[in-house]
Amino acid sequence: MSILEISKLTVRFGGLTAVNSVSLDIPTNEIVSVIGPNGAGKTTLFNAVTGIHEPTSGTIRFDGRETRRPFRTSTALTLALVGLIAALSFILIVNIEPLWDATITSNYVYQQPFPWTKALSSAVGFFSGQTGGRLLLPFLIGGILGLAGALAIWFRNRYAPEVAARAGIARTFQNIRLFNQMSALDNVLLGMDSRLQTRFWHAALRLPLFWRERRDAEQRAMEILRFVRLDSEAHQLAENLAYGHQRRLEIARALAVQPRLLLLDEPAAGMNPAEARDLMNLIHEIRDRGITVLLIEHHMPVVMGISDRIAVLDHGEKIAEGTPAEVRSNVRVVEAYLGKDHEDAAAT
Amino acid sequence: MAARPKIPFHWSFLLVAALIPLVELILPGEHHIGDLLRPIFIMALLGLGLNILTGFTGILNLGVAAFMAVGAYSYAILTCDIYPFRLGFWCATLVTVLVGLAVGFFLGLPTIRLRGDYLAIVTLAFGEIVEDVLKNLDSITKGTEGINPLPAPSVFGYQFRPETYQPWYYLFLGFLALVVLINRNLHRSRIGRAWISIREDELASSCMGINPMKAKLLAFALGAAQCSLAGALWASYLGSSGEPGNYDFQVSIIALCMVIVGGMGNIGGVLLGALVITGFNSIVLETLTDFLKAHQLISSSNVFTAPGNWKYMLYGLALILMMRFRPEGLLPSRQLKAELHHQEPPVPPAS
Repeated sequence: MSILEISKLTVRFGGLTAVNSVSLDIPTNEIVSVIGPNGAGKTTLFNAVTGIHEPTSGTIRFDGRETRRPFRTSTALTLALVGLIAALSFILIVNIEPLWDATITSNYVYQQPFPWTKALSSAVGFFSGQTGGRLLLPFLIGGILGLAGALAIWFRNRYAPEVAARAGIARTFQNIRLFNQMSALDNVLLGMDSRLQTRFWHAALRLPLFWRERRDAEQRAMEILRFVRLDSEAHQLAENLAYGHQRRLEIARALAVQPRLLLLDEPAAGMNPAEARDLMNLIHEIRDRGITVLLIEHHMPVVMGISDRIAVLDHGEKIAEGTPAEVRSNVRVVEAYLGKDHEDAAAT
Repeated sequence: MAARPKIPFHWSFLLVAALIPLVELILPGEHHIGDLLRPIFIMALLGLGLNILTGFTGILNLGVAAFMAVGAYSYAILTCDIYPFRLGFWCATLVTVLVGLAVGFFLGLPTIRLRGDYLAIVTLAFGEIVEDVLKNLDSITKGTEGINPLPAPSVFGYQFRPETYQPWYYLFLGFLALVVLINRNLHRSRIGRAWISIREDELASSCMGINPMKAKLLAFALGAAQCSLAGALWASYLGSSGEPGNYDFQVSIIALCMVIVGGMGNIGGVLLGALVITGFNSIVLETLTDFLKAHQLISSSNVFTAPGNWKYMLYGLALILMMRFRPEGLLPSRQLKAELHHQEPPVPPAS
């Protein structure tokens, strides 16, 4: 059973094909690495999986479902509602002054009680006396504009990172993107956000749910921080943490999303061998919690040490896939890393 | 890190403000500092509305005066006796806030996807549109005359009078305290956290499951609602909707000045900013002008010598100086201070 199925994924930026017809299955609860030279399209692949880039073609299925906003009945209703509101407000805008005169000004006698029902019938009379030019035309223009606009916004928003995150895909970034001026604890709490129930009123008025959930959330966040061994730094600003700690905090923040698939983009970059060993242990522990891990890594000891499977990308195409041993002995992989002439050069 | 003061500035500000009229009653002689503070409270409300957008969420809004105008005119239409609604103070204020909420929401809906400067230009244009509409929608807004007079509010059976300023003072202060409380609560909840994360890194925030459009739209609607509340109180204070020219671009810029000078993203900072900027205008400049006139140092025929005419230049100068020497404002939030005095991030050792 695969948790993530990428089939024939192509991502193109203008004329540049960053990922070309890549198919990849990530089995549930395994650690899979994607390796390849710089510019091979690894991060683009990650961005497509997390909804940052829209695939040019091909599909990404997470847990059997595509990671994009589904078109539900409620979506259709919302779009129709926006169109209707736009249409009605266009009619109102076009007719506002005569309508006001007909309903309010002509019925109101200074400081006398206002005949509301009479005003209502004047409004109906006003509209029934109108020609299509003041009624139908603005209705059509407004409705089409509103509907088309809402549809365009919905369509362009179909692939969005928050959709993937809410489905259960969390990620870290190649160059750390923590919220630097928030504390480590707040960073983790933010990752937890999509799992919280507090709404505007609870927060604004501090209703009991706010207090209860804040206590629970902080407790859970501290547990996650303890898991990545950062609990002693919980109240430090993220910016002030050591580099290796920032990497771990980013993982903690991603774990707070409660993902089933965790994408790590070069987690070992810039780590010394001891830190890299700690990281490998951590990734193993994450996998043991039932989370599938997909990682991009250049650090070969880490890749070979923890991966169950490895996929190799070069120039946007997948050139090899298999267990670490298989990949290591693959001719095309060696070529991609060392160049075609390598063996000739070594022979002479 | 310096030890934080035990009582946050915004609470001490409100507490001191609550005591001022009492002190004035006890002290002998004529005092009217409390009287002068009333517009400051209203401007502070405007600043707090803007602070949600610019300070918390990082959206530059150059059209808050338009939201204030929407509030003032809604309140005026709902309470005046030339139109049939004639609602009471509470009812009219509530409806006005809801109108502001709706206007912010529907303005934000199509435009919120724009980034940074582009959204600022949209809000700037919105400000101009509202002003022009109010000028030209003669049969409803009475054009450049504005809607007046409005009846003085009557709260819990007490009829407000223009002569005694204390009831007004406490009414406005109460609204200010309420808005401060709500903003503080939101700031320290998941909602404020989401806003700040969007300000810091929108992409990372959305990758953690925050829907930036929703969060920004909430900020927009809420900011607009608070600005229109400021407008409603302003209209009740003036006893008139004011004329459309009262809500022009300069008001938006003054609100922005208050937020920047006081300290973006910090509620106490915005209160201080309102006190400094509006207070400078209505207290310091007025007093200076009176003093100079009394000693015959200036003549009314020469416009260059009246300090009041220099105020926008002084605002501009203050803004330039602030930006150069203290970009985080007089009373910065801890977070933003760190953001603006950014140290280089730790560089990964070459791998």
